Amino acid sequence: MLVFVAKRLGSLVVVLFFLTLLVFTLGKVADSDPVRTYVGVNASAEAVEAAREELGLDNPIPVQFGSFVAGAVQGDFGISLSSKRPIADELSTRLPATLELAGWALALTVVIGVSLASLYSRPGRFGAFMRFVFFSAASAPSFLIAMLSVLVFYKWLDGALPAAGRSSYGPYEDATGFYVLDGILHGSPTYTWDAIQHLLLPAFAAAVGSGVALARVLADGISSSLGSPWARTARALGEREGTVLRRHALRNASSPALSLLAVQAGFMVSSLVVVEQVFSWNGLGSYLSGAIGVGDFPAIAAVCLILGAVYVILNTLVDVALAAVDPRVRLS
Amino acid sequence: MAEPIVLTVSDLTVTYRGRGRVVTAVQDVSLSIAAGRCLGLVGESGSGKSTIGAAVQGIIAADGSAHATGRISIAGRDLTPITDPAWAQVRGRDVTSVFQDPMRSLDPTMTIGRMLNRYTGSAEASVAALERVQIRRAGEVLKKYPHQLSGGMRQRVMIALALAPQPRLLVADEPTTALDVSVQAEVLSVLRESIEGAGCAVLFVTHDLGVARHMCDDIAVMKDGLVVETGAADDVIARPEDAYTQRLMASRITLTTDRMRPVGAPEPAVVASMRDVLADQGRPGDDVADAWGAGDLEWERFMGRTAAVGAATGLSDVRLVEHVTRPSLAVNEVDKTYWSRVKGRKVGNHVLKNVSFEIGYREAVALVGESGSGKSTLLRIAAGIENPDSGSVDSQGVAGEGTQVIFQDAGASLTPWRTVEELLRERIEHTTTGAGMSRAQMRALALSTLELVGLDESVLAARPTQLSGGQQQRVAIARAVVVPPSVLLCDEPTSALDVSVACSVLNLINLLRHSLGISVMFVTHDLAAARLIADRVLVMTGGEIVETVGAERLAQDITTDYGRRLVDAVLA
Repeated sequence: MLVFVAKRLGSLVVVLFFLTLLVFTLGKVADSDPVRTYVGVNASAEAVEAAREELGLDNPIPVQFGSFVAGAVQGDFGISLSSKRPIADELSTRLPATLELAGWALALTVVIGVSLASLYSRPGRFGAFMRFVFFSAASAPSFLIAMLSVLVFYKWLDGALPAAGRSSYGPYEDATGFYVLDGILHGSPTYTWDAIQHLLLPAFAAAVGSGVALARVLADGISSSLGSPWARTARALGEREGTVLRRHALRNASSPALSLLAVQAGFMVSSLVVVEQVFSWNGLGSYLSGAIGVGDFPAIAAVCLILGAVYVILNTLVDVALAAVDPRVRLS
Repeated sequence: MAEPIVLTVSDLTVTYRGRGRVVTAVQDVSLSIAAGRCLGLVGESGSGKSTIGAAVQGIIAADGSAHATGRISIAGRDLTPITDPAWAQVRGRDVTSVFQDPMRSLDPTMTIGRMLNRYTGSAEASVAALERVQIRRAGEVLKKYPHQLSGGMRQRVMIALALAPQPRLLVADEPTTALDVSVQAEVLSVLRESIEGAGCAVLFVTHDLGVARHMCDDIAVMKDGLVVETGAADDVIARPEDAYTQRLMASRITLTTDRMRPVGAPEPAVVASMRDVLADQGRPGDDVADAWGAGDLEWERFMGRTAAVGAATGLSDVRLVEHVTRPSLAVNEVDKTYWSRVKGRKVGNHVLKNVSFEIGYREAVALVGESGSGKSTLLRIAAGIENPDSGSVDSQGVAGEGTQVIFQDAGASLTPWRTVEELLRERIEHTTTGAGMSRAQMRALALSTLELVGLDESVLAARPTQLSGGQQQRVAIARAVVVPPSVLLCDEPTSALDVSVACSVLNLINLLRHSLGISVMFVTHDLAAARLIADRVLVMTGGEIVETVGAERLAQDITTDYGRRLVDAVLA
């Protein structure tokens, strides 16, 4: 098992290196001059040259890549071309915001998936009705779900849940940036509860689609597990249905569900870009769409790199979890 | 003193309802088994034998599609067949079972120990249970997962699991059907000793009369949901009274079956094909059914003239085959190793070691051996599906085009969304014979080939999933011979079929071989089937051909220890 984890970690480093190379190359081949973005259209030729030197763009490309990697490893992504501030500083509040939202959305995905899976496999009209409802929900794009939930919970239910921002109070000084955690660390139930309320709608909007997909795979897995020869063996040995489900079917059904969750985590990151806009969530998504608008390539590269890294790390975690669940993965 | 009766089934009828149709799987069946006795329930697919096996465990589908009447009594407890809540007390205590598929009947995510300890109570008891089914190093096996064990080991574990609760009745549903013949013999002897030790009653469900005779005290023969004959095993086998039982017995192939004539009872579809063959050769024969029934219909009679050979050799009569010197298939010093990584190290599996053999024009050669002997790899290399590491294969015979393969699982070897006509056309289009043929010509050729394998026009538009297993295998054969190949490669083509269907497939292969002048390479683990088709039998083990024996006196002439073991594993 340890060997397996070490191997996966090794390939993680390789994947991240190539991701960095890809992002860097994209910046070089993109049809925009970063120096112009930095100094403005009307700057003099001397100012342009000075800026080129300041940004290190007069160095040979391999040297530039070297310093890009060296910086990225230490969390230094250079200077934003539009705001002229270090990108790392700008991301320091936004990264926790997005990670917090993504974490809650993933947790909600699992909650929705597992609870729907049991509804899903119900026979008869009720099951059919539930399948219809969730099919509809899953086929709607996340921004539609986002706007609908704002309409219902904020407008019609008269502000039952907040529809914008992360908190009614603002951040603590010297905090982690994860508001729910901050609230708990500072011993303030009001602050914590407020942060959770702010999280619910955006997390739900981001989680519905993947939750339904997860439910389907889980329900299919469970029903095929229950119909498998080894489930029959368990029944023939006198196990009751509940035991067959808990002891045998769930574990066998969870490997396809886990694989799906890894893929869904990737989609979730991209749907957050949209969801953050709708809920005025000051995270990476809204930062990214701002940066794309002005062609701020270092900023775009930084966000892509971070999101990519999160995605790769999540997938690695899932691979390890898969190996833990299924001995055939681990021992073959 | 008579042993107490453990299982009594009275007037059991089971029907399944689906898509507006009601199918009666079992009708008015009554039987009983005493402690320490083994009753064999013998029949072909769809006879209802497995439904009875499920009924006496109370695991018939509970989704409302099944309906049952009658009574089942186990160890003195009366139960209704489907809905009785008392099954929860009976199943897993008074009755347990061993299933067919050892590959999938054990939970893949659990170690053997974790599964077994639950029913034995402790690791020590589990070790003892495994030792009772003759598993050595039981302590290590407990830590393994099912996929790390061989099929025979897995089935031993199944037996240990089933006997752990000390049941009064054991249901064994085709427990050795998925295993190699020699492994089958071992597992059967383990099962036999285990149940003798346990003293339980056994309901042994099988399609194989040889296995039933080997294992059972009594036999009940089933057909279409009815028990057609019951009696002591030796009586039923030696003196079958019912016509169906007689037919089953006639379909059994052993090492003494007559090789020169068709096997089994005359079958209308095969008889029709034989008439067609003779009519095509200008020698109409209306007497083939009578001759077959009387036992003097020899394959010799179907040897025809082959235009291609005539053109190639200048000789018009195929009886001059000795003049054809070029072999249809020549395998020269073929070597193959599969590489895999185990814990980071490259490990080679040397599956074929410098193998050479030839198959002459019109000759049939069988390769026999167990799983892992390399016989299937050799077939794939002969077919050109895989390349050898070194050595060469020449399949440019004097007649026919290339090689064609018939696989064990015909259903999986036919593209499911294509119609039978399209499947046959696909082969025709890729041959020189078929080049330039019109659609209508190809259709006519397809149709005449289908008739040759005992199918009719209605099959042309069908898709493989709409056909039965036997029909699928015939379509696969038709596709292989619609343009005759120089060598027909057969990979266990009968081992997944019922005995009577297997018989007609073997008869067809023999008929095609003689009438079309095709050479045959027949890969199997079943010596009896090999002997029936082949002129020579090559025995393979560990990637080498260890012995070549003439088919007729196979059992007497085989000399190697390994070959002898295969012969002994054929249950007479």
